[in-house]
Amino acid sequence: MNLKIIEGEFYALMGPNGSGKTTLASIIASVRFPTSGKIEIYGKEPENAKELIGYVPQENFSSPILTGEENLMYFAGLLGYPKNAAQKIVNEILNKIGLSKDANKRVSDYSGGMRKRLEVATALFPNIKILILDEPTTGLDPSARRKFLSLIQELRKEKATVLLITHIGADAELASRVGLIDEGEIIAEDEPEKLKKASGLKDVMNIETAIKSEDIAKILSRFSEKKKVLETDVGYRVYCKDVEEVTPEIVRSLDAIGCKVTKIETERPSLEDVFFKLTEKMVREVS
Amino acid sequence: MGQITATLGKTIKEFIRQKTILFWTIAWPILWVLIGSFSFTGDAPSEVVSYIKGSIAISMSVFALMTAGIANLPGNIAQDRERGLLSKLMSMPINPWRDFVGRILALLAFSSLAAILVTLVGYGCGARFSYSLISLLQSIGFLLLVSLASAGIGMLIGTFIKHVHGAIMSGVGIAVVTAAISGVMAPFSSLPWILQQFARIYPISSANSSITCLVVGEGYAGYNPLTASQTTFTIVISLLLFFAGLITYSRFCWRKE
Repeated sequence: MNLKIIEGEFYALMGPNGSGKTTLASIIASVRFPTSGKIEIYGKEPENAKELIGYVPQENFSSPILTGEENLMYFAGLLGYPKNAAQKIVNEILNKIGLSKDANKRVSDYSGGMRKRLEVATALFPNIKILILDEPTTGLDPSARRKFLSLIQELRKEKATVLLITHIGADAELASRVGLIDEGEIIAEDEPEKLKKASGLKDVMNIETAIKSEDIAKILSRFSEKKKVLETDVGYRVYCKDVEEVTPEIVRSLDAIGCKVTKIETERPSLEDVFFKLTEKMVREVS
Repeated sequence: MGQITATLGKTIKEFIRQKTILFWTIAWPILWVLIGSFSFTGDAPSEVVSYIKGSIAISMSVFALMTAGIANLPGNIAQDRERGLLSKLMSMPINPWRDFVGRILALLAFSSLAAILVTLVGYGCGARFSYSLISLLQSIGFLLLVSLASAGIGMLIGTFIKHVHGAIMSGVGIAVVTAAISGVMAPFSSLPWILQQFARIYPISSANSSITCLVVGEGYAGYNPLTASQTTFTIVISLLLFFAGLITYSRFCWRKE
């Protein structure tokens, strides 16, 4: 793998579980040793560049029985800030992440989104130049996810270098550049829109059916580019060249086997579609 | 603030705010002081009863130190690892030894508080002691050995038992069982011969008997543990357990894969 992230860039690394994203993030964050190869951060090895990195692992590592402020004061202490300076910085950070009002609440009383923002806050101390966020929106409800992503957008304005590890296409689309990773290799890398364009995908049809079966997928694959159909939570995604032309045919074919189509809609392809087109694998498991 | 004071502050707050920890380290020994002081004194003469109560208060203070080291410390380590804090810390410019010193200082501060509370309750129940300044200082030395040996065992448990509840329950189990079979929770004289031998070599019960001997009297300890050989052995084994735990913790808990 060859990966270069430029200072001030918001880079998203997107791939399915087991593709090596977290391993790569933890190697950059100096939590693991690489089995081979070399990583340089501002010309230094990760072990010697720890003071520049703010790593936010997947797990909720903040202490639930401490308050938000106490958690941040703990990290300020670990970073060696004197008490008064630490308090000032912590107040500023709490303000930045929108948790000033809840600073004295125990983290166990925080929502998932508030807790994640607090954990990102541990990577916002001065002198930290690179933020590594490992699957930060996993498990957040849509509203908490939106709030969290707007925080990341704010950080982007401050020219922080951000490496976002994710398997969610919509999160990756916020990045200035996206790397698609599969089995430890970066299979495509570019700006989100350019990646979509390069994939050649035009329209994507979301087809919801009353039931799901292999036969339905087989029929739909006849209408999809390269015969690839993505199974989703509620139905199928079909990659079409001409939606208007194939829609009646799809409905007729499914009707012939007694399958009722409950909804059809068309949308622009997502990064998850691009990943599927390249690998025939889904980035996210269908629940 | 330095790394040590940051870790010390965080760990003490976590100890004090967890009901399970407060129960096993403070409430449980106090309960036994109350039960023991009013139930286990038998028909002993009144001038002896207050010293029996004194030996019970000491044993329960030692038990509080044991629980803090053997159960609370591994619980705290396992909790930090399970929730990914150790990964986060490994990514930061942090010295593992300072983290360790912070944890141990928190343990000593918390367990001292527990031991003082247990002793005060014992005193309130009528426990009396007979000591000089020298014997008091020697007792504090033995209490420190109890904490070090317990912390050593605790770090071994915390390093190898990954699950939080597994680590806490293993610690509580080891603390309760070893206290019961080594004379910390029962009179030395009532133990069978084989367990009396174990009580002599188990550094925590040996230190417990030594303290009882120093501040209550040899008769209440059941034997004289203050021989040169046994004292040396207790010191050596306590330090060995502590350093074994320390090396294991810093090697395996902070090991990069």
